[in-house]
Amino acid sequence: MPIALRPVYVIAKKEFADNVRNKWVISLIAIFLVLAVAASFVAGLGRVGEMDVTVGVLITLSSMLVPIISIMLGYATISGEAESGALSVVLACPIRRIEVLLGKLIGLGSVICLSIFVGFGISGVLIAASTGQAEWSSYIGFILLTMLLGLLYLSVSVCISSILKRRVTSLGAGVVVFFWGAICGFIWIGMYAGTGGDAMAFLQGDTSGVPDWFWFEVFLSPQDGSGTAAMLAFGETELMGYSVSLPSWVNLGTLVLAHLIWTLIPIALAYWSFQKRDV
Amino acid sequence: MTVNAFGSVIETIDLTKRFKDVLAVDSLSLKVRKGEIFGFLGPNGAGKSTTIKMVMGLFHPTSGSAFINGKPAGPDSVDLRRDIGFLPERISFYDNLTPTQTLNFYCELRGADKSVVPSLIGEVGLAHAANRKVGTFSKGMVQLLGVAQAMIGNPSIYIMDEPTGGLDARWVKAVRDKIRALNEQGATIIFSSHILSEVQALCHRIAIIDKGRLVVEGTVEDISDRLRIKPRLWIEASGVDQETISAIRSITGVEEVTVNDEALLVTCEAEARMKVMAVLRERDVAVRDFKTIDPSLEEAFVRLLSEKEGS
Repeated sequence: MPIALRPVYVIAKKEFADNVRNKWVISLIAIFLVLAVAASFVAGLGRVGEMDVTVGVLITLSSMLVPIISIMLGYATISGEAESGALSVVLACPIRRIEVLLGKLIGLGSVICLSIFVGFGISGVLIAASTGQAEWSSYIGFILLTMLLGLLYLSVSVCISSILKRRVTSLGAGVVVFFWGAICGFIWIGMYAGTGGDAMAFLQGDTSGVPDWFWFEVFLSPQDGSGTAAMLAFGETELMGYSVSLPSWVNLGTLVLAHLIWTLIPIALAYWSFQKRDV
Repeated sequence: MTVNAFGSVIETIDLTKRFKDVLAVDSLSLKVRKGEIFGFLGPNGAGKSTTIKMVMGLFHPTSGSAFINGKPAGPDSVDLRRDIGFLPERISFYDNLTPTQTLNFYCELRGADKSVVPSLIGEVGLAHAANRKVGTFSKGMVQLLGVAQAMIGNPSIYIMDEPTGGLDARWVKAVRDKIRALNEQGATIIFSSHILSEVQALCHRIAIIDKGRLVVEGTVEDISDRLRIKPRLWIEASGVDQETISAIRSITGVEEVTVNDEALLVTCEAEARMKVMAVLRERDVAVRDFKTIDPSLEEAFVRLLSEKEGS
């Protein structure tokens, strides 16, 4: 499959430029900055909290917000443009569909990554300056994991956009995918309780009796997986004051691998369905 | 690659597209020759857009194939599309861009020099709106921008789907003039329409399709001849009774008689015309005026379609 780089770049540049023009990039940077600073104050109980505790609070917020942002950016990118007719003008140009798809992923992916990097980066500098303490390598790990979560949901939403015919159904499917990541944990707790586990003890933070299969949930819910990975990046075994012991196969490596699978399979599906789509 | 395609700019062979239970295009074989304006005519829903989209690689044919300059065309025929200016039906651009930004983007996609953008915008008469957002444009303006977009890189083939569809008279003229001018500069132009007068006025050759099937293909004269469309006699008269009509109908060479409030329309052979007038005089019908109406493609079209419906 030959891919020419110039058309990919042209599409990526347009997607990025669009989001600069419509102020999405600057808004996202502001959102991430405010979010991190606020999380820091919450974690520091009214003063600027240190990086590790800040991230502990931030994970919960960003693992909800980042998927939403990615889905908003990606859900209409193919179905919406196909519906409006703009896509047929693009595809009538000397460009392959794979090039359009990659261009969109790269352009929108850059919007997500740049906003996260700048927003969380500036707040990281502020936190380090205020507390006089920094765990930069872990913090950068957290930033990278957040970017990866953003790219993951971008590829899922672009995949949805490529498969579904209409803008509105793509949005609906995006919402479903988001809620899957958000409620997967509850389903797992339900299964745990249903199989004789002590759900109350678990919710109160006692994970000692939890069977190994339970932790497979972090591979199925990218939101939970990302949060767990960020926690591991800081070498934390405590979350919200509770000590958590994970089986050895739940580690940074396997979680990142799961994220990559979650990202690459939808891209492959998106390519497959876009290629056979009538636009 | 096919030998059949030699010499034709666009060719389809048994091109077929089925959407679930609808056969939108049914074994369509067409040839468009170099340098001509080719009219692709048919009622709404005849399969014109579907055919065009298959040629452009936007739709995947169920079976059959399309060729551009003799080479098989599909979604990945990047090099073939380089030479085609395409104006889809109800073209849509990105609302948040200005015409300049829009054309810059398409120049980049086509690998063309962006310095032509201001002159392209001027050529279609949009210079006054060059920095307005396309989202604020009227339909006609979007269509003109579409024409400008199609002209990027000076393609030698233009494929336009209903280029004047839904436009008011002013824009229609602008688009038609542009089509003529491009053809005079040597471009081959294929455009679809459901308006006969338009096709009749612009095209060298025409293909009429209905329900996805080719009904007839040829020059305007060819099609009229082949369908043996006869001139009609238009007679302005009052007091025409049923008996008179029957009398006219019984004349040899008269095919059809229709009456409305003040006129009589008689489709007949040229030799029968005087006999019709004679019958009217015999019956003391006051004829105020009469003339013959030349055959039009419109008639051919309506007739063709109604024959098809009947069959």
